[in-house]
Amino acid sequence: MLLSRRTLLQSAALASGLVPVPGLVLRAFAEPGGEKPILIVVHLRGGADGLNLVSPATDPVFIAARSTDLRVAADGPDAGYALAGSPDPQTEFRLHAAAGGLSELYGGGQLAFIHAAGLTDSTRSHFVATDMIERGVADARGLTRIRDGWLTRYLAQERATGIAAVSAAGSVSGELLGRADALAVPDLGGGLAPAGGPQAHEVLTGLYAARRDPYAAAGREALGAMTTIDGHVPRDDKGAVIAYQPEPGTAYESAAEFGRPLKALAQLIKMDLGLEVATVDIGGWDTHEYQAGRFKAAVGRLSNGLAAFWNDMQRYHDRMIVVTVSEFGRRLRSNRSNGTDHGRANVMMVLGGQVNGGRFHGGWPGLAADKLDEGVDLAVVTDYRQVLTEVLRYRVKKPVAGVFPDYAFSGELGIFSV
Amino acid sequence: MPDSAVPPPAFAFFALNRLGFGARPGEATALARRGFHAWLEEQLKPPPDDDPETAQALDDAQLRIKYAAGDPAKNQNWDAVDELRPLGALAQPIDALWPAVAERDKHDGAERRRPLLEVISATLIRAVHSRYPLREAMCNFWHDHFNVDAWDSEQVAVALPTYDRDVIRPNCLGNFRHLLESVATSTAMLYYLSNHSSRAGAANENYGRELFELHTLGRQAYLNDKYDRWRDVPGAPEGRPVGYIDEDVYESARSFTGWTVEDGTAIDGGRKLPQTGRFAYVENWHDGYQKRVLAADITEFQPAMADGRRVLDLVAGHPATALFVCTKLVRRLVADNPPAGLVEAATRIWRDNLHAPDQIAKVVGAIALSPEFAASRGAKVRRPFALVAGFARAGGLDLMPTEPLINTISAAGQRLYGYPNPTGLPDDKAYFLGTNSMRARWQLALGLAQNSWGTGAFHPAAVMDEAAPDARGAAAFWLTAFTGGADPQQAAAIVDGMGLAPEQPVGPPGAPDTEKRLALIAAYAAMSPGFQSC
Repeated sequence: MLLSRRTLLQSAALASGLVPVPGLVLRAFAEPGGEKPILIVVHLRGGADGLNLVSPATDPVFIAARSTDLRVAADGPDAGYALAGSPDPQTEFRLHAAAGGLSELYGGGQLAFIHAAGLTDSTRSHFVATDMIERGVADARGLTRIRDGWLTRYLAQERATGIAAVSAAGSVSGELLGRADALAVPDLGGGLAPAGGPQAHEVLTGLYAARRDPYAAAGREALGAMTTIDGHVPRDDKGAVIAYQPEPGTAYESAAEFGRPLKALAQLIKMDLGLEVATVDIGGWDTHEYQAGRFKAAVGRLSNGLAAFWNDMQRYHDRMIVVTVSEFGRRLRSNRSNGTDHGRANVMMVLGGQVNGGRFHGGWPGLAADKLDEGVDLAVVTDYRQVLTEVLRYRVKKPVAGVFPDYAFSGELGIFSV
Repeated sequence: MPDSAVPPPAFAFFALNRLGFGARPGEATALARRGFHAWLEEQLKPPPDDDPETAQALDDAQLRIKYAAGDPAKNQNWDAVDELRPLGALAQPIDALWPAVAERDKHDGAERRRPLLEVISATLIRAVHSRYPLREAMCNFWHDHFNVDAWDSEQVAVALPTYDRDVIRPNCLGNFRHLLESVATSTAMLYYLSNHSSRAGAANENYGRELFELHTLGRQAYLNDKYDRWRDVPGAPEGRPVGYIDEDVYESARSFTGWTVEDGTAIDGGRKLPQTGRFAYVENWHDGYQKRVLAADITEFQPAMADGRRVLDLVAGHPATALFVCTKLVRRLVADNPPAGLVEAATRIWRDNLHAPDQIAKVVGAIALSPEFAASRGAKVRRPFALVAGFARAGGLDLMPTEPLINTISAAGQRLYGYPNPTGLPDDKAYFLGTNSMRARWQLALGLAQNSWGTGAFHPAAVMDEAAPDARGAAAFWLTAFTGGADPQQAAAIVDGMGLAPEQPVGPPGAPDTEKRLALIAAYAAMSPGFQSC
């Protein structure tokens, strides 16, 4: 997929009369305008093995702790992509060999890594960690006090209205917990009108008009959103949905099931309905066993998906920020199922037209025994809230407060270039 | 329904929805006449086998299977298949189904998926036909609690018939400790939480962790701030720690090393496990040294499986497990925010009956007889599966499951036996009421009424008591059938939205157009807000 995409991208850029950076459409199509960039949170669900994605490939501790196929090779036929700007002068960092798309974006300067990031709390429970990250809190005490998502609190400050928040998923993500008008739209391939045509719409409107219970409210909300969004889905004169045409060279299918929600999200963004934030999920990261093959497939989906989305969104590069989160990283030492168990710190990624990319931000604690968390895992040196706060500050061009309760922002990491 | 033996029909209707999958025509009246206690008692002690009507429906069921011939050049040696096939995998032992994964060159992938689709079909047929719907609801509950994802794993898909038939079904109203060990030794769980590949040395922690967090003590009892200081856990010095820490996870992972599946894996130089898919314990994969779990010492070199069984004893009998599981039961049977008093009462019964063979039935019975239960009408969302089963029961539809129907239930947010996270499907109405889910819910009602997916013709007139009702009467009939009452505003919304005159007959009796119009009226009644909850 990569070669053909590269070719197509180049030809698209050449057709526009610009000299391309090899393989990438940079800012050629960016439109002017003072709009705030759309924030897209990609949740790598299951605890992605950041050490296998962005590997300290030449660190002898890492090499000793991991079976060969659970780390990125620094040389040989399976070598991963070399990364400029290592956070540790002693160590060469490499990107997983299946992450060709991410390598291009990093090389093109749009993608930045923040390694050794995560929760300050040491939970190794998926579900506790996920709740903490989605609600934007630091610990279990925070979970008992804070019931809504961090994006919900942020949007409340922005006084956002309309279709401001979407999860490109079957249900609304926890970051948007408590936001009543957040939408869940995993697919727009068939439009979003209710089955049964105008008559069904009419009957449903009547049935759901008056009652005051959560079910009737949900129905009204759904009908409203369906009407708005479906009104922007192009249809032919027989009423059939005209298939969405992404920008040339976009290969969502190369990202398998991660492609579908990204495509729906791209469609929604291009409808210009006032979308401010969105979430997308990608699963398959809970690799307790047989990690090598499963992880490679997951990295391929992630990398191809983000590359496809980036290509499709080429007119929006300066108006979007993609940030990835995962509830935790995985154990430094692999287990005997040739997998890895729940660990601590992970790598976060930030992608966008104004990202100070092609480099790492934040520190790297190393893997020496005394630097590990509980002696077993990569330690967290960058609080995930620092990254997210910096993203929000960049978005609104001013300090933000109250989104992450009890968190004091410790300063910019320098993730953005402008 | 605490005092009176004869409940009003409205309560009977509610109970059939909440404790089962809806009321068939006349069922609520019959229950009301008979009395709730008597009905409940029978529901809590169902005979082991399906009732005759359900057994017949399962025997009669057929599900299409279609695939192309294999490519001999790729060593694929199978013929093309396109047939309506009975649900033959349901009763098969695991070793009869395992060859589909063990001998891949003889079977198309559709044969590996087949056992999963058959179990989904059987689950639907049972929910529609069963005389013991509470058992079906409880199977549903435990499948969520002990979630496996059979859509993501061929081994789990092939193991699903035995998981449902031999693990969940016989224990769904039985004893929790017994159920827990059945799950721990099931091929489905051993694959899903990867314990089958766990070995001494660096054990796989997946099952050990979810055993504590999701199957037994629950995350409220995870005291991770005491990571490796087990003596600091309150109660630990007395041997009764109130919660667990990561060390308990690590030690229990060691306890279950060697609990595996006969899947052909090499044991050592000359020996291999057979290929049957059955449970196996492999001594030389087991970490036999001493362990400490929940402040209890486990002596080194115990007999086969003794460590793991000790862990199961410790977690099954733990007070936090009683609280966690009873909270989930009350959440499922009563309200998304479980009333604390009822949880406490249920927990007490659970703990008083730790060794009773009908421990779970006793707890469920007490919840169903509580005033909190009686006061909770409308508090729970009807999940997509229940929406389909409820439509078929109330509509007198002899539902034949098909893949397009199963896919639409998935689109509505409930991929059966296929929730990817080991938490199981969320038990929270918000999860099911998003835009996309609402759209799929409406589509389910409409598609069943119009037989869009080949699930069987719907004959609304045959269920109705009048041959030629007027439009308003028809709407009122179907609103009553699906929601227990006919709100005039709701009936008007249907009649007006369809452009019908309220007092005009829907059409000449028996005419195809009349039947179509009645089907649409019924569909709209099932799309109404009243049918989204129970």
